[in-house]
Amino acid sequence: MPPTTDTTFNAQEGGMKKTPDPFTRRSFFTSVGAGLQGAALLHLLGDDLFASEPKVATDLRARPTHFPAQAKSVIQLFMNGGPSQMDLFDPKTELDLHHGEAYFNKIAGEVENVTDAGALMRSPFKFAKHGECGMSVSNALPHLTKHVDDIALIRSLFTTNITHEPALYIIQSGHMPSGYPTLGSWVVYGLGCECQNLPAYVVLDDPLGLPINGVENWHAGFLPPIFQGTRFRSTGSPVLNLRPEAADPPEIARLQRDLLNQLDRLHQRQRPSQPNLDARIASYELAARMQMSATDALDLSQETRQTQELYGIGREPTDSYGRRCLIARRLVERGVRFVQLFINAQIWDNHTGLATDMKAACDRTDLPIAGLLFDLKQRGLLDETLIVWGGEFGRLPIAQLPKDKDERKAGRDHNKNAACCWLAGGGVKGGTTYGSTDDLGFAAVENRVSVPDWHATILHLLGLHHEELFVNEHGLKEKLTGVQSARVVREILA
Amino acid sequence: MKRWPLLLLLSIHIWHGGDLLMGSAVAQEKSAAAVPSFGKDVRPLLKSKCWRCHGEEVRKGELALHTSAGIRKGSESGPVVVPGESAKSRLYELVRDGEMPPDKKNPLTKPEVEIIRRWIDGGARFENEAATKPEVTQHDIVPILLLRCTACHGRQKREGGLDLRTRAAMLRGGTSGPAFVSGKPDESLILKRLQREEMPPRQRLVEAMVKPMEASEIEKLTRWIALGAPEAADEPDVAGTPADPLVSTEDREFWSFQRPRPVTVPNVAHAARVRNPVDAFVLQKLEEKGLSLSPEADRLTLLRRASFDLTGLPPEPAEAEAFLADDDPRAYEKLIERLLASPRYGERWGRHWLDVAGYADCEGRREQHLPRPSVWRYRDYVIRSFNADKPYDRFLQEQLAGDELADYEHAPEITQEIEDNLVATAFLRMAPDPTWANLTGFVPDRLEVMADSMDVLGSGVMGLTFKCARCHSHKFDPIPQRDYYRLVAIFKGAYDEHDWLKPQLIGYGGALSASFGERYQPHVTTTERKRIDEQNVALQRDIDALKAGPQTAETAKQINELAAKRLPEPRLFTLWDRGEPSPTYIYRRGDYQISGTLVHAGPPAVLTDGQTPFEFVPPWPDAKSTGRRLAFARWLTQPNHPLTARVMVNRVWKHHFGQGLVKSVGNFGKTGDRPTHPELLDWLAQEFVRQRWSLKEMHRLMMTSSVYRQSSQRGSEGEGERERNTNNTAAGSSPPLPLSPSPPLHQDPDNRLLSHMPLRRMEAELLRDSLLLVAGQLDETRFGPGDAVTVRPDGLVLSGKRRSVYVQQLRKHPASLLESFDLPAMNPNCLQRAESLVAPQALHLMNDAAVRELARQFADRVQREAADDPKRQVQRAYWIALTRPPSDEELTACLQTLTALTEQWTKQVPAAEASRKALVTLCHTIMNSASFLYVD
Repeated sequence: MPPTTDTTFNAQEGGMKKTPDPFTRRSFFTSVGAGLQGAALLHLLGDDLFASEPKVATDLRARPTHFPAQAKSVIQLFMNGGPSQMDLFDPKTELDLHHGEAYFNKIAGEVENVTDAGALMRSPFKFAKHGECGMSVSNALPHLTKHVDDIALIRSLFTTNITHEPALYIIQSGHMPSGYPTLGSWVVYGLGCECQNLPAYVVLDDPLGLPINGVENWHAGFLPPIFQGTRFRSTGSPVLNLRPEAADPPEIARLQRDLLNQLDRLHQRQRPSQPNLDARIASYELAARMQMSATDALDLSQETRQTQELYGIGREPTDSYGRRCLIARRLVERGVRFVQLFINAQIWDNHTGLATDMKAACDRTDLPIAGLLFDLKQRGLLDETLIVWGGEFGRLPIAQLPKDKDERKAGRDHNKNAACCWLAGGGVKGGTTYGSTDDLGFAAVENRVSVPDWHATILHLLGLHHEELFVNEHGLKEKLTGVQSARVVREILA
Repeated sequence: MKRWPLLLLLSIHIWHGGDLLMGSAVAQEKSAAAVPSFGKDVRPLLKSKCWRCHGEEVRKGELALHTSAGIRKGSESGPVVVPGESAKSRLYELVRDGEMPPDKKNPLTKPEVEIIRRWIDGGARFENEAATKPEVTQHDIVPILLLRCTACHGRQKREGGLDLRTRAAMLRGGTSGPAFVSGKPDESLILKRLQREEMPPRQRLVEAMVKPMEASEIEKLTRWIALGAPEAADEPDVAGTPADPLVSTEDREFWSFQRPRPVTVPNVAHAARVRNPVDAFVLQKLEEKGLSLSPEADRLTLLRRASFDLTGLPPEPAEAEAFLADDDPRAYEKLIERLLASPRYGERWGRHWLDVAGYADCEGRREQHLPRPSVWRYRDYVIRSFNADKPYDRFLQEQLAGDELADYEHAPEITQEIEDNLVATAFLRMAPDPTWANLTGFVPDRLEVMADSMDVLGSGVMGLTFKCARCHSHKFDPIPQRDYYRLVAIFKGAYDEHDWLKPQLIGYGGALSASFGERYQPHVTTTERKRIDEQNVALQRDIDALKAGPQTAETAKQINELAAKRLPEPRLFTLWDRGEPSPTYIYRRGDYQISGTLVHAGPPAVLTDGQTPFEFVPPWPDAKSTGRRLAFARWLTQPNHPLTARVMVNRVWKHHFGQGLVKSVGNFGKTGDRPTHPELLDWLAQEFVRQRWSLKEMHRLMMTSSVYRQSSQRGSEGEGERERNTNNTAAGSSPPLPLSPSPPLHQDPDNRLLSHMPLRRMEAELLRDSLLLVAGQLDETRFGPGDAVTVRPDGLVLSGKRRSVYVQQLRKHPASLLESFDLPAMNPNCLQRAESLVAPQALHLMNDAAVRELARQFADRVQREAADDPKRQVQRAYWIALTRPPSDEELTACLQTLTALTEQWTKQVPAAEASRKALVTLCHTIMNSASFLYVD
């Protein structure tokens, strides 16, 4: 039901809130114009706190952006467990110098597993500068190093909790308690989707198991459930109940569809002016289309041998993650707005065995991710796709020792004060390294980027202003970025 | 323009002062003498920049900066200046960040901000003014000790015999002596332990869920002891005296804070349609727009509508026949009575309340979801209360203060009433709660749980949004921050972030588990306990007898079988006052590490007269209970409370008419909607109280009105209803109705005036229960532990055959069918369900194996009841699923398809099998049809 009257418009403007330049509501009004679509978006996004009828979008039709978007879709490569910044992207020579020195007492309140805490520990990996930009990346990620000129690295991300569950809620939804919409939900709430034959927000979880917090990683919170992520399984039937377990012969299925359509149209004819009834008939038609599209999107046999090899499909340890990366490309190609990739359990949660276990995590993901970047670029898709890489927090500069106190098997404990993440693709200034940590890599000190800043930046690239994307809930103007002010990290934008 | 001279003056002043200060920042930092003077440097700054809003005349946020006393006192939420700690001083933060003065008008320059910072860091001293209050008092110290120490030295644990909750207890000390020596920090044990980092012990931080004390806190404690541990007089701040300056008379005049006013039932033109006052109020608004009610719906539509509304299930064909055959003019009224008396009523309306409460069978917010064994007793209590039409005021009192209603500890017998009282308080324990796990059990996590509980109470029962006031005074409603903390203080006896009962399971799962953990009580009814004991004793006797005899494989098996029949130790999941609440300090900006003003228990000021203090006493002599919640529950359920009755009748209205008179059912504040029919809302609220808070009376009133009985047809070009109206006559004694042209849509586009009944999609539970009922598969076993769900590896969550209200409610694993149709996630509760319309719903109903199996069973039932004649089969299927015969067009379409389906199947299977399969497809199609899913 797109609102069409001017009164909506005026009512909205009357209760305008101040927002920081250059994206004031007023300029936003001017930029979207007074078209029907513009009014629809205003209706969706401009729920004024004083409006008598707060409207919440309840469909997935494509909606205009607040300002021109740099990227149309997102592939979020989520790295469960908290990848170690000083072993991947943030070289610390001071750690080499002070290796073995005690440091625990200075950060005792920040350590989760106090009994296992050891001394400062240097990285077992070697760093070198790569690409034209000279970005430092460790030798744990040999394939990614070839694409550093396409990525913008942030070394100064920080969060506010050192435990997986709350930290995951924070990075996914911007809030520590559960029950808030995730980034992907906000994005499809704000933008809808250009493809109506596939879900707007697709989750590719690992067949080996769900991540921590399970389905809450793609939950829509208080937004209508249509904005939550839909899990696509990479083997078998991609969507629950996409097809019956024992299918009827096609002719039977056709007769049934026709009868249902006939009965529903009779029902609808007796009840004029009930838009829901039209929408319901349409939803059955869409369901039939989705049966075709979803199956097609996941059919990797349509890809050449060469492309499959690019992603490491058909060999270990990259086959599983490579498939999901390739499926992600096929989904954004078809207009899916937000694709979220997971890897099972918490392969980046390297409390022990940093040299071995973290390397294994790299080995599973490095080639597929490099392949995805390369493939998107060669197809001209990288300019309109945003690739987002990162976990829920970083790790400590001190060692965490295994029970037998064998230092060779040491790992690192959680750290909320510093983490690395990167962006690539539409609107991103490739080859940038932004922000820095202290000498030991314990805390972000320069150009700190909060999780809300990170979210605001992602929304910005999609043409959404984080202050303008909100709903009224429990008397609060709820936003992805919460009540604290958030900043778009413009320094990494092209 | 006028401002220029002043600005000029100011800037000269700043230049002058700035110059001095900027001279050599490094050198001055080391020199104590360089601390700015209050009189010379700070006061003039405050005067020019702040006094306009925080001075003698205007005191925004209760902050007055024109006297040293005012600066010390701080704002509504507590001190704005923490001597020695600019980082914790709100005054400094706000001027530094340019947030004050507001709107970036006339902001402080950097050197000016520096003056403030350095004055605060230098101790924030006032020259020439005698200190009216010691620099540090117990109010600065107690919050620190509560946060860092009392987990092991408090009410629950008293390690080393030491209690650090009060000054007196500290002086009493523990086995090693007094905690401190007044005036002698060097000799004070507590400081020694802290300085040597012995306390809190590092290795026990996680277990005790505390963080070490910060250096600045130790410093503050040292200063307090050095000063002789002064105590500021603890003035009782009872809500109302003096009247809260943050809540004005105008604030109290907002419609929902005013008591409902007596209203006269209006006279209307369409007097013939007025069956009761509800009709008069609705017609009045319609007539103002030149509209009227729609024609009355046909009898079968009314039957179906009323059945779903009151029982959540469709009527059986036999009920429909009986209803059509009943020519009593009061047939419809009798129907309503019959439905109200059905035990299904409590299952339907109890579910609405469980949404308000946020019912779940597990805790949530962690990777593993801790089960809540025996929480189902609360669900059963709710259902039984609705069925018994328990007065709503009593229902609330039990849920908010059941433990203070009757002495359960010394009762000679635990009656059903006492058990119910205790079970009811689980209402306050419904919020998702991760505090059972070590890493999510710290004070901020506990505060989150408390905030959720306040949110459930505020939005669900009071129609107010308190959430904002946790961090700052409400921006739109007159709810100062301290009102949130006053409300929290009411619950402190039971919900205390410094004396926390963890959700936990001890020995859960064993046949005779000794305990379920801290949140459970043993007080089930004496009758139940006796029954359990008798059964277990008898079993034990048999077991002993078997054990005494010869031991064979057979006897071992028998013993095991008998042992498995032992009933588990019963426990109640409940909440109770423990009588020793910690003091409640406002947390500035909601930050638990920055304690502000001490507040006392009390309801929101705007709902008080501003004069009568909130008083409470222990509920009975020697009670280990403060009586705070009971006093609050009684205050809340006064007959003329402005919100309680209004919020509830509005909810009942919403469930009958699709939307509330106040559309925002959980928000009656300024950002909420205004009532469409304010007089009707007030009349209903008062009628509700007059009818002794009886919900069933409200159903009678609303459902027998002409408004409820009208058709759901939206007016426009067609008169589609006419065809179906000819099937059966209008109900009861209603006057013959002219089929007046339906109102033009634009006059009442969102049906806020109720010119017709809304067409509604079945809610998740209605759909699932109806599918089961139609297929003849519904298991109506009532009460008891939740019916377990099965989680398939592919993510599909399967449920059994009991009514949805009895299906286990796991936050992580909602039954898939229910979830597809918008079963809400309880975070913490749900006041307005979403109604989405998406393709996965179609996929579920078309393809899901369980739904297809129900279609097969539905077909079997049709075959049993209508034999082999296709026409009779179609008719029977329509009566069972849709409570009506098919129209001619529907019948034709169904019969043609049935024939075509049979032909197709005959190519593959024998003829008898083919017609059966064709019927299954027909039944499955009806289960998918809009006629089935939408209720007129």
